Amino acid sequence: MTLFERVFNGNDAVYGLTEAAIDNAIAQHGADKAVSFPNTAYSLPCYYGVTGTKVGNLGDLKNALGVVKTLMTRENRLNDAFMSGVATALCAEFIEVLKYIDGAAPYAEPCYGHLADAIIRELGVPLVTGDIPGVAVILGSAPTAEEGVALVKSYQAQGILVTLVGGIIDQCEEMGYKTGANVRVIPLGKDVTSVIHVVSVAVRAALIFGNITPGDAAGLMKYTFERVPAFVNAFGPLDDVVVACGAGAIALGFPVITNETENIFRVPKSLIVQEDVSKFNATSLEARDIKIKITNIDIPVAFASAFEGEIIRRG
Amino acid sequence: MGNFKLTTVEEFEAATNRLLETGAKVGADAWQLRVKNQTPHCKFGEQGVCCRICSMGPCRITPKAPRGICGCDVHGIVARNYLKFTAGGSATHSDHGREICHTLYCSSPDGAYKVKDPEKLMKIAKEWGVETEGKDIYDLAHEVAVLGLEEYGKVFGTQRFLKRAPKHTQEIWEREEIAPRAIDREVSCSLHMTHMGCSSLPEALIRQSLRSGLSDGWGGSMAGTEFSDVLFGTPKPIDTEANLGVMEVENVNIVVHGHDPSLSEMICEYADDPEMIAYAKSKGAKGITVSGVCCTSNEVAMRRGIPMAGNFLQQENVVLTGACEAIVVDVQCIFPALGPLSKCFHTKFITTSPIAQMPDSEFIRFNAETAAENAKAIVKAAIDNFENRKPDLVYIPDMKQKATVGYSLEAIVKTLDGVTNSQVDELGTTKPLIECITSGVIRGAVAMVGCNNPKIRPDSAHIELMKKLIANDVIIVASGCSAQAAAKAGLMDKQAKDLCGAGLKRVCELADIPPVLHMGSCVDISRMMNLVAELAKDSGLNISQLPVVGCAPEWMSEKAVSIGNYVVATGIDTYLGVDPYVSGSDKVAELLTSGIRDWVEAAYTVEKDIDKLGDAMMARIEEKRAALGI
Repeated sequence: MTLFERVFNGNDAVYGLTEAAIDNAIAQHGADKAVSFPNTAYSLPCYYGVTGTKVGNLGDLKNALGVVKTLMTRENRLNDAFMSGVATALCAEFIEVLKYIDGAAPYAEPCYGHLADAIIRELGVPLVTGDIPGVAVILGSAPTAEEGVALVKSYQAQGILVTLVGGIIDQCEEMGYKTGANVRVIPLGKDVTSVIHVVSVAVRAALIFGNITPGDAAGLMKYTFERVPAFVNAFGPLDDVVVACGAGAIALGFPVITNETENIFRVPKSLIVQEDVSKFNATSLEARDIKIKITNIDIPVAFASAFEGEIIRRG
Repeated sequence: MGNFKLTTVEEFEAATNRLLETGAKVGADAWQLRVKNQTPHCKFGEQGVCCRICSMGPCRITPKAPRGICGCDVHGIVARNYLKFTAGGSATHSDHGREICHTLYCSSPDGAYKVKDPEKLMKIAKEWGVETEGKDIYDLAHEVAVLGLEEYGKVFGTQRFLKRAPKHTQEIWEREEIAPRAIDREVSCSLHMTHMGCSSLPEALIRQSLRSGLSDGWGGSMAGTEFSDVLFGTPKPIDTEANLGVMEVENVNIVVHGHDPSLSEMICEYADDPEMIAYAKSKGAKGITVSGVCCTSNEVAMRRGIPMAGNFLQQENVVLTGACEAIVVDVQCIFPALGPLSKCFHTKFITTSPIAQMPDSEFIRFNAETAAENAKAIVKAAIDNFENRKPDLVYIPDMKQKATVGYSLEAIVKTLDGVTNSQVDELGTTKPLIECITSGVIRGAVAMVGCNNPKIRPDSAHIELMKKLIANDVIIVASGCSAQAAAKAGLMDKQAKDLCGAGLKRVCELADIPPVLHMGSCVDISRMMNLVAELAKDSGLNISQLPVVGCAPEWMSEKAVSIGNYVVATGIDTYLGVDPYVSGSDKVAELLTSGIRDWVEAAYTVEKDIDKLGDAMMARIEEKRAALGI
C-alpha cells in the first residue's frame, strides 16, 4: 500500500467514527446542544484556526464536518495527503470536544486532555525566547518502559516541552516518573485523538503570538512550519490512523520520527525511520533543526529549567 | 515574496516584435520572415519519403510509385533518413567532445588551460584503470586525454563509460548488439549502412540509430561533459540572470554563442581582465558584459554565473538590440543569418572554428594552443567596436529573471546530502531523492531538453509543460535551450516554488532549490544519464522502472534526435512535440513508438498537442509508479 493510501484510509476511518459520534450526540442531545472546550477563547481552536469559523453547538459541528469532508480529496498528490492529515486532526478535535459535553471532565490524573489558554500563554514566552527550544510529541508505547522514560527524560533535560499520548503515559506511570505541566511533561490522553490537544497548542500559538488571522490556513501552516519547533516521535506499530495524523503533523511542518519499519515510506526531513530509540532524541533535533547548547554539569540529579516548577512533597 | 512573477511568452513576443521594428528600419532579415517564405514545407520531406542518396534519384514515394529506382520501399527510405539524421547529431556532439579531449591534452600548469578539478580527473582515471599514484596531475591529464581521444577510434571493444550504467542496462546493450564501439566508427558505420544498396531493413537501421545515439550519450557527450568539468570546474549552484535584459547599455556587450566552452571560458577570462576593463573604460564604456546564447551560454552560466541572453530562436534578437559589439561563435546551431544581420548594425560577427565558417563573418581562428592570444584579440576587437555603436538603434528590452543554476550530478548529490539525517542516512547518494519519489511527495522526474522550433510558438511548450508538471509535483531537470526557456520565464528562481504542488514545494523549501534544475548544456544530458544510473543503482530498480521520462517539446536539430535515441536506448521513455520525419512509414513509426520497447524497455511518444503531451507524460509516470506499488 502506498503512503498516501494509508493516509487516506486512516482519514476515512476517523471520519467515519466522527460522523457516527456526532450523529449519536445529536440523537441524544439535539442539534442545539452547546459544545465547547473549557477555558479557551478560540472555540475549537484547530477548526477555528483553519477555517475561521467558530462552532457553538452540535448542529454547527455537523456542518463543520461537511467542511472537513471537502478537505478529503483523493488525488495522489501530497497536497491531498496533507489536507487529509489536517482533516484527520479536525475530526479528532470534534471527537474530543464531544467528550466535554455538559461540562464533563473526561480526563483524570495524570492526563490533561484539553489545555487552557492560560497554559499556552504561560508557555508561549519561553517558546519565543528559546527557553523552551522544542516541543516533543511522543505517541504510542516505547519498546520498553525504560527506553520510553529515558527518551522523555532526555528531552526534559534539554528544556524541551514533552507531550505524551497513548501507551507512553502508562510507561511513565509504571516507572514512577513524575509528569505534569509544572515539569513540562504533559500527558494528554490515552486515545490517539487526544494528540489534537498539542496541535491545538501550536494553532493557538500561531493565533496568539503569530497574529495569524483565523481562516488563513496557508499562513497558519507557514507559521507553524517556521516558528513552532515541534516534532513527533511515534512508536510502532503504526496504524493508518496514526499515519494520517502524522500527515497532518508534517503538513504543519513537524517531522515524524518512528521506529516502525513495516509498510512505511521514508521522506527526507519529514518522515524518518530510526530503529534505535536511544537515537530518537538526536535524530529528532536534527530533523527539526533544533540546536541546543548544553553545558553538562556532572551532578547526580537531572538539571534543567523544566524542573523549575517542580513541587517537593513531604515524605 | 509577493512580487515574484513569471515572464510570459506574450511578453517575450512583445519584446521580439519591438526588436523586429528596429530590424525593419535597417532592412534586416529575420527567421520569422524566412519561415513564411518556406511555408508550406514539402510533404515528401516532412514524411521522410524523399531519398537523395544516389544520382539515380531524387526518388520520392507515392501511392503510384511505391518504390524508389533501386527498389527500396518507403520503410527503408524513411529509416535510412532517420539514421542519417541521427548520425549527424552524434557526429556533432562527439566532435565537440573530441575538441574538449584535445584541450585537456593541451592543458599545462602555466598555460591558458589548467586542470581546475583534479579530483574529477583522478576519479575518471581510476574508473578507466589508469595508475594515478605519484603521477603529476598534468601527466595524468595528458594520459587520460589520449585515452579519451582513443575512444573515438578504438580498434576493439566498446565505450569505457558504458560501465557506469547499471548492470541490467549494460546487459540490454550487449544482448541487443547496440553497445557502441568506437564513436567515429558508429557514425561512419551509419553512413555506410545508409549508402545506396546497403541496409533497407527498418529494424537494422533503427538499431544502428540507437547504437549511434549511444555512442554520443555514453561516449562523445559524456567525454565533453566530464573533461569540461576537469578543465573548467564541476558546476556548483550559482546565481545568475536570464533574458535579453542582461545586456547592459553602458557596457561593451560581448555575446558568446555556440557550444564549446574552450572558447567561451577564455573570452570570459579576458573580459574579466583589469587591463581589458580599463581599455573598455578608455573607449567610453563603463565595463564589459559577457552574456551567452545557446549551449555555450549554459556552460559559462553553470560554471561562472555568466548571464544568459537567450536561447536558439533569440540569437538574432541579441544583434537587433543594437548594443552587441561582438557575437563570438564556435560551432553548432549558429544561424548563418547572423552574418548579413550583423552587417545592418555595428556588430562584429566573429567565427572562430574551421568547422563552422560563414560568409559575412570575421574569422579569427581559435585553437587550444593559442587560446589566450586569440581570446584577447577578440575581446579587444569588441571593445574597439564600442565607439561604432549607433545610439539611435539601441534598444535592450528591460526583461530578465533571476536563476539559480549549476546543478551537476555532484551538486545534486551534495544538495541531497543537505536533507539527510546524520543519525540514519548515508551521505553521497541519491537516496533522499528516491525516498521523495517512492513516498509520493514527488511523483517523478522529467528531463526537459531540446531546442526551439518555429513550428511551435517559441518557448511556449517548454514553459507550459514545466508549469504543468511542477504543479503536479513532478521535478524537472533541464538542459540546453529548454533550460534557458525556463530561466527566462523565471522557473529557475527559487521563488518559483510557489507554482509547485505541495510536495515539490516542500522539497524546494527543504533542499533550497528551484523546481527546475539546470543541469547544463546539450552534451550535459550525459549528466542526466549518470543521474538515472545512480538512481537505479541506489534504488535497486532498473532504469526503465523509474518514474522518469524525457521530453523534447520543441526539438529541431539532428543532435536532438541523437539525444532522443540514447535516452530511449538507456531505458527512458521519450516524448516529442515535433514529428521526426518518419510519418511516411507506418513500420518505422511503429518501431520507434512501440517496437523498440521490446529491445530497450522504452520508446518514443510523439504528440503535437502540448497539453496532451504533458498528460501523456504524467500518465506514464503514474503507470510506472503503479507497477512498483508506490
